[in-house]
Amino acid sequence: MKTSTTPTRDAPQGFWLLRPGSLSLLVSRRGVWAGLLLALMTALVGVGNLSFGTPSLTPDQVLAALAGAGDPFNVFMLHELRLPRLTAGILSGAALGVGGCLLQTLARNRLATPGIIGIDDGATAFAVASIVAVPTSLAPPMLALVGAATAAALAFGLGGGGSRGYRFIVVGIAVGALFGALTNFMLARTDIDSANLAYPWTVGSLNARAPSTVVVLAACLVICLPIAKALGRQLQLLRFSDAVAIGLGTHVRHTRLAILVVTVFLTATAVAVAGPVGLVSLVAPEVARHLTGHRGVPIINSALAGALLMTAADWVGRTAFAPVEIPVGVITAIVGGPYLLWILLREPRMTGR
Amino acid sequence: MPVSLKSAAAQRGRRALLAFLPALAFLASGLLAAPAQAQQKTLETAFGPVTVKAQPERIITLDEGALDTVLAMGLQPVGSVAARGGKDLPGYLQAHAKNVPIVGVTREPSLEAIFSQRPDLILASPGLEKRVYDILSKMAPTIVPTTPTTAPWQERNALYVAALGKEEEMASRIAQVQARIASLRERIEPGQSFSVVRWMPQGPMAMSSKMITGQILSALGMQGTAIADELGERPHSDILSLENLGSVDADWMFLATLNEQGDATLAAAREQPAFNRLDAVRNNRAVTVDGQIWSSSTGVLAAERIIDDIERFLLNP
Amino acid sequence: MSKRRGRQLLHRTAIAGAGLAGVLMFASMLLGAGNLTPLESLHALLGQGSEDHRFIVFELRWPRTILAILVGVALGAAGTIMQAATRNPLAEPGLLGVSAGASFAVVLAIYYGADTAGVHFGIAILGALVGCFLVLLTTQMRGAGNDPVRLVLAGAAFSSILMSITTLILLHDQRTADEIRFWVIGALGGRPVSNLQWAVPGLLAGLAMVGATVAALAAMSLGEKVAMGLGHKPVFTRILAMTGVAVLVGTATAAAGPIAFAGLIVPYFARRLVGPDVRRALPIAMLIGPCVLLLADILSRLAVRPYELPIGIVTACIGAPVLIAVVRSHRLPRL
Repeated sequence: MKTSTTPTRDAPQGFWLLRPGSLSLLVSRRGVWAGLLLALMTALVGVGNLSFGTPSLTPDQVLAALAGAGDPFNVFMLHELRLPRLTAGILSGAALGVGGCLLQTLARNRLATPGIIGIDDGATAFAVASIVAVPTSLAPPMLALVGAATAAALAFGLGGGGSRGYRFIVVGIAVGALFGALTNFMLARTDIDSANLAYPWTVGSLNARAPSTVVVLAACLVICLPIAKALGRQLQLLRFSDAVAIGLGTHVRHTRLAILVVTVFLTATAVAVAGPVGLVSLVAPEVARHLTGHRGVPIINSALAGALLMTAADWVGRTAFAPVEIPVGVITAIVGGPYLLWILLREPRMTGR
Repeated sequence: MPVSLKSAAAQRGRRALLAFLPALAFLASGLLAAPAQAQQKTLETAFGPVTVKAQPERIITLDEGALDTVLAMGLQPVGSVAARGGKDLPGYLQAHAKNVPIVGVTREPSLEAIFSQRPDLILASPGLEKRVYDILSKMAPTIVPTTPTTAPWQERNALYVAALGKEEEMASRIAQVQARIASLRERIEPGQSFSVVRWMPQGPMAMSSKMITGQILSALGMQGTAIADELGERPHSDILSLENLGSVDADWMFLATLNEQGDATLAAAREQPAFNRLDAVRNNRAVTVDGQIWSSSTGVLAAERIIDDIERFLLNP
Repeated sequence: MSKRRGRQLLHRTAIAGAGLAGVLMFASMLLGAGNLTPLESLHALLGQGSEDHRFIVFELRWPRTILAILVGVALGAAGTIMQAATRNPLAEPGLLGVSAGASFAVVLAIYYGADTAGVHFGIAILGALVGCFLVLLTTQMRGAGNDPVRLVLAGAAFSSILMSITTLILLHDQRTADEIRFWVIGALGGRPVSNLQWAVPGLLAGLAMVGATVAALAAMSLGEKVAMGLGHKPVFTRILAMTGVAVLVGTATAAAGPIAFAGLIVPYFARRLVGPDVRRALPIAMLIGPCVLLLADILSRLAVRPYELPIGIVTACIGAPVLIAVVRSHRLPRL
C-alpha cells in the first residue's frame, strides 16, 4: 500500500487513464469493451434489418441502394421503408434503455421502469383517444407525447415530486391504471375497425413511424444523453443511500429532480415514436450491467443495449411470419418476459440493486 | 494540323442535329403523352387531390369495401389485407378472389409486401393515419375516402369506383340491386320491424340503422328500433343494460356474430333468461347472421349477400 | 387500545357495516338502468307489479346483487390477507399480478374455444394460483418482503408480461380479441346463474383457507421469530394464505372478470376503522367489500342510462385516488 503523498500516476485496476490536454479521464476498461461489443452487434443487426425482408437483399445491393445507385426499387425500399424504421428503432431503443437505467438506479430497484410510472399508459390513452374518440387536429404521435407528459406530471405532482423516493412510483402506477382503464373503455365503445387502427398504439410498433416524431426524439437524445452522462457521477453516489450521497457533497433533491426530468423526456419522446414498448427499459440496463460489471452506472451501454434489443425484436417481428407483422412490443415481451421472471426468481446479489 | 473546313462544317451540322434530337424527342413524347394524360384523373381524397391513371392494373386493397368493389368489377387485386377474423380474405369474398396474396392484416399492413407488388393504385380505409398515408402515397397513388361509415352504402365506395374507372359498370350493378330490393319489397309483409344486434354477455349492442343492413332493411319497408335510429354517426350503441332489452326487441332480430359460427353465440344467448323473453325469440324470429357481412361490410357483393339472407329468412320463416 | 374497547369498536363497526351492506342491497334491487321508478321496483319486490318488472327485479337485479356480495367478500378478504401475508399495505391482487394470471388463463380458454359465458372456474383459479406462486417467491427473496415498492413493481411487471403474451394470442385470433375487449373490464351483469353455483364453494373454500391463517398472521406482524416462538410456522402460513388468496381471486375473476382496485380499497378502509390487527380487519373487510362493490355496481347502472358503465371503470376511478391518498398520507397504514 502506498503511503507517499505524491499523487499516483497509474490508473487503478481495470481502468484507463486518459489525459487529453489538461484533463484527466478515468475510463472503465470493461465498459469500453462492452460498449464496442454492443455497438458491433447493433451494427450487424442493423445490416440484417436492412437486408432481410420482402424481398431480401444481398449486402452489396444494400450498400449500393444506400448510396442511391442500383435498382430504384431497392433504393425506395431502403430509403423509405427500412432505413427510417431502423433509425426509429435504434433511437427509441437507445432512449428507452437510458431512461430505464436512470430510473432503476434512482429508485434503487432493478424492476423500476419508466413505463410503470404511467407514462406508457398515458401515451396510449391519448393516442387511442385521438383515433377513436375525439376528432382533433393533432396527430396521434403528438398526442401520445402529450399523454406521456400528462401522466408524468400527474405522477410527480401527486407523488411529491420525487422527494419521497418511492411515493411517486406508486402514484404513477395508480395513474397508469386509471389511463389503462380509460383506454379499455374507449376500445370497448368503438367499432372494430377503429379499434384495429388504434391497436399499434396499445402494443408498441415500429411500422410507418412519423418522421417528425423521430426528429424530435433524435434532438432529445442529443441533448439528454450528455446530461445523463454528466449526472452519472452523482448517480453513482445515489446508489448507496441518500445519506452517503449528501455526505459526499451531492445535492440529492436537485440531482433526483434532474434525473427524473431527463428520464421522462427520453421516455416520452421514445413512446411517441414507438408506442408503449415497456420491457426494453427493463432488460437493456440489465444487459448493460451484466456486461460492464456492477461498478458504475452504464448509461452509454444501456443506450446501445436498448438499440440492439429494439432492432433485433423488430427484425424478428417483421420477418418471422411475413407478411403478417408482429409488433415489436409483443416480441420484446416474449423475450423479456422469461428474462424478467428469471430476475424475479433468482437471489438478489449483495444489495440486490 | 487543322481539320479540313468541310469536315468541320459537317461536324457542326451533326452536332446541331444532335442538339435538336432531345428537343424532338421531348416534343414527340409530349405529343404521344397528351392522349395518355387526358386519361388520367384527379380525385379528391381525405388527404387532398390524388392523380390516378385511367386503367390501373396492379391494385392493392387495404379495406374490405375496396376489396368488395374491386372483385365486383371483375378485377383481381395484386394484394389485400386479411379479414378481421383471421388470416385469409373475408369468407364471402373468397369465391370471387383467385389467389390474391395477403399483404398483412388491417392492424399492421406490411409495407414491404405492398411495395413488392409494385402497385399502381392503393385503396385504403377512411381513417388511415397520416403517417402511414405518407409512406403509401410514395409508392403509388393512395385513395382514402372521406365518407363516414353511416353514408348510404352506394356512396361509401364511390371514390374507389371512380379510381378504378368503372363508374358505369357499378351504376348498372347497383341498379340491379335496387331492382331486387324493389321486387323483394313487394313480396314481404309490410310494416314489420327489425333489429340488428351484436349479442355480448353483458347485454346487446344495437347496430345503427344507418349501416348497410339497416339501409337495406329500411328500403324494404321495414322499420328500425328507436335506439338504432338515434345513434347518429356512431356505428353501434354501447352495451345496453339487460334491463332494457325491450329497446332492441322487434318483429325480426338479426344477431350478428363475428364469423360464420352463429350457433355457439345463439346457444350462449339462450342461456340468458332475459334473452328468452324477447318477442322475437319467442316467435322464433331471432336468427344469426354473419357479422362480417351484416355489421361491417359496405360493398355491392355484400349487399347482394345481405339480400340473399333476408330473402331466405323472411320468405321462409 | 384496551381489549374491551377494541372489541366494542369491532362490534359497532361490524353492525354498521352490516347495516350499510343491507341498505345497499336494498338499493341495488330498487335502482337500475331500466325504466322502472324505485317505487315500481318496490312493488315488484313485494310481489305486486307487472311481470316484466318482477322479472327485472328478481331475475336480473337479484343475481347481480348476490354476485356483487360474493365478489365483494372474496376480494375484500383476499386483499386483507394478501396485505397481511406480504406485510405490505400496497399489495392488491390486481397490482400484484394475481388478477392478471386469472385473466390470462381465461383468455387462453377463450382462445381454445370456450365462450366468455361458459369459462370454467378451474381455469381461472389455476391462473390465479400461478400468479400467486410467483409473487410468493418474490417475497421469499431476501429483504424483498419488507420492501413495498419492490413487490408492487414485481407485480406490475408480471402483469405487463402477461398482457403482452395475451396480446400475441389476440393477434392470432380476432374472435378472441373481440370478445376479450369487453370481458377485460369486468362486469357483474349478464353472468349466468351457474356462475353463482360455482362461486359459492370457491368462496367458502378460500375463506376457510385464509381463516385458518389469521391467528398466525397476526403473530407474524410482530416479526417472524416472535411468531415461531409462539408456535406458528411462518412459511407454511404464508403459503396457505396465498393459496387461499388465489382461490378467492380466481373465483372472483372467473365470476365477474377482473375488477381493479377492489382488493386495495377495502382493506384500507377496514384498517382505518378498526386498526391494523388482521383478526379484526378481516371480518370488517368482508363486510365493507360487498358495500364497495354494490356501490360501484349501482353507480355503473345509473351513470349512463340506458347503457351501463363497466364496473372495472368505476372501481378504477374510485380506487386510483384512494391509492394515491394512501401513499400521500404521512404514514402508511401500519400492518
